[in-house]
Amino acid sequence: MNKSESPIISVKGVTKRFGSFTALQDISLDIRPGEIFALLGPSGCGKSTLLRIIAGLETATEGTVAIDGQDMTGIPANKRPVNMVFQSYAVFPHMSVADNVAYGLKLERRPAAEIREKVAEALAQVHLSDFAHRKPDQLSGGQRQRVALARALVKRPKVLLLDEPLSALDAKLRDAMRLELVKLQESVGVSFVIVTHDQSEALAMADRIAVLKDGVLRQLDSPAALYKRPVDRFVADFIGSINMFAVTGRRAEGGDAARLETAELGAIAVPAAHLPAAGKGALTLAVRPERVKVGAKAQKEAQGEGGLVSVAGRLGDVAFQGNSSIVEVLLEGGGSLSALVSEAEADHLMQAESGSPITAWWALDDMLILPENATAA
Amino acid sequence: MESYRRNFRAFLAFFTPSFAWLGLFFFVPLGIIWLYSFGETEGLTKIRLTWTLENYKRLLEPEIISLFWRSVWLSVISTAICIVISYPIAMVIATAKAKWKPWLLLVIILPFWTNLLIRTYALLNILGTRGRLNDLLHWLWSAGDRALSMIGLGDYHLLGERFVPVKFLGEPAGVMIGLVYVYLPFAVLPIYASLERLDRSYLEASLDLGASQWRTFRQILLPLSSGGINTAMVITFIPMLGSFLIPDLLGRGQVDMIANVIERQFKSGNDWPFGSALSLFLLYITFILLALQSFHAMRQRKREEARG
Repeated sequence: MNKSESPIISVKGVTKRFGSFTALQDISLDIRPGEIFALLGPSGCGKSTLLRIIAGLETATEGTVAIDGQDMTGIPANKRPVNMVFQSYAVFPHMSVADNVAYGLKLERRPAAEIREKVAEALAQVHLSDFAHRKPDQLSGGQRQRVALARALVKRPKVLLLDEPLSALDAKLRDAMRLELVKLQESVGVSFVIVTHDQSEALAMADRIAVLKDGVLRQLDSPAALYKRPVDRFVADFIGSINMFAVTGRRAEGGDAARLETAELGAIAVPAAHLPAAGKGALTLAVRPERVKVGAKAQKEAQGEGGLVSVAGRLGDVAFQGNSSIVEVLLEGGGSLSALVSEAEADHLMQAESGSPITAWWALDDMLILPENATAA
Repeated sequence: MESYRRNFRAFLAFFTPSFAWLGLFFFVPLGIIWLYSFGETEGLTKIRLTWTLENYKRLLEPEIISLFWRSVWLSVISTAICIVISYPIAMVIATAKAKWKPWLLLVIILPFWTNLLIRTYALLNILGTRGRLNDLLHWLWSAGDRALSMIGLGDYHLLGERFVPVKFLGEPAGVMIGLVYVYLPFAVLPIYASLERLDRSYLEASLDLGASQWRTFRQILLPLSSGGINTAMVITFIPMLGSFLIPDLLGRGQVDMIANVIERQFKSGNDWPFGSALSLFLLYITFILLALQSFHAMRQRKREEARG
């Protein structure tokens, strides 16, 4: 995608207050044409509110939303060139599937033949052609969602907004629908903005993800960047699994480097380049389980110039996961960490008794040093 | 409840009083009325059961048919007015903030706590030719007349030379005002319940798809609250049809409804068999309406259940 392309949605300084409660605080972000953009965060973080502000179902207390370069302030939901798939799908129960899909077109006063053609086309796109004359109560949850999708897409919106599109489906259907939504987006070409609380959903589907917490945008990045370079403790913890150790003390070393104290790992010297530039609050050391190696003794293999961090512990539980296993290491300084190891390594470890001494180590370069909150001043 | 077969004695102990009450004071008198309706009066106080159909034939007399017709149209119009007034009220309550809802509902229910007789007498004071409503109309007339004078049209007396009080009592209008006033809460509550249950995202989806507020109201809100409207219609229409006190007091004997004529048969008319036939006929109409309503409600519920 061309980065210089102008954004299809531009959110600038949006703040939303409900009474004394601030649901969104000074959110600014751009959504590019043709991308899948995820608004990710725990419940109550304001992601749905932001989606509803874009749709025009809610008004921002401050700030503006522009769609395709046009300021949407004061323009009601029924005049905005975006459409929404609701969490409950909101398929009108008193209308047939075809009537549901035709609802938005009839409002545009198009000729009947054209409406019929477009409805048939939209239903074919979501594989519901045979269900056109059914009533919604004769459909499954997944089928109703397709009706909601067809009903929104038939309006040819500039952006399709989806509020927790997969949360109401059962686990198996959810995986299938993930893929199908991505394919659908590729075939229609319009941007999708997806609200979700499920990080794996966002990682699997989105081109870019905005992580929200308590109404504040914590980080906006590609899924890979979010995973590899989370800006703070919250983002690191929310995306994927990670071992974390609270820093209890900090002493300056020669140059800009510092010695960071933790209860579990002891003191670790880190170069200045690794320390976070922004943010506030206590620091946290973090390392992904797949970066942690375990064995009888730390081995200096191919690691960067930064050296190794190693810690002694005892072997805890080994959880089998198919082609890999998660090994729990009970640390001598208290607490534990988990390491993701290959099948062969796991087999080898299983020969040792639970509780036998073991060492865990990782490259200093693989360890993240995170502030509590990167956005706080 | 399902184990009542096993604990038959406990079941008896619990339900005998209520069954006895119902049987003694409801089914037995109803049976007597039913028998009366096939009887003939003999002398002043006796009724002989002759299995005659004469009383039912008399239901087809023009006076009685026009009486039923008047009762029906008064009730139909009053019901329609009730629905039209109560729908916006129900909408206001359903969309009010959670902390206001109980208070608003209380305001609707409050009149129930006052005796019907007292409320109806209060209406007499309001609807009379020198009542408060005519005071208000008089004031409006004066204001209108003054306004016309001010723009130089005072000499034409477009609003009449004098204020003529509107007659409500003894007129169908007065009875309808009374019926609407008394039965309005019965209409508000079921409509409120259906609006309260309604998922708001249906309305938002309609707006999102480009529909105007008015269209959303007509094509989404109204059909989806039809269950509440139907219930409201039935539970206001049925008691209106059989109402006695309101036409008696506000109609001043000029606007009789079925119940007034029934009462007359049992008292001044001294024709209990015919009164019984009239009563039963009213009961049958009520049954049919209730059956239609529950049939509709059942279909609605099935649809909702299937929706999950």
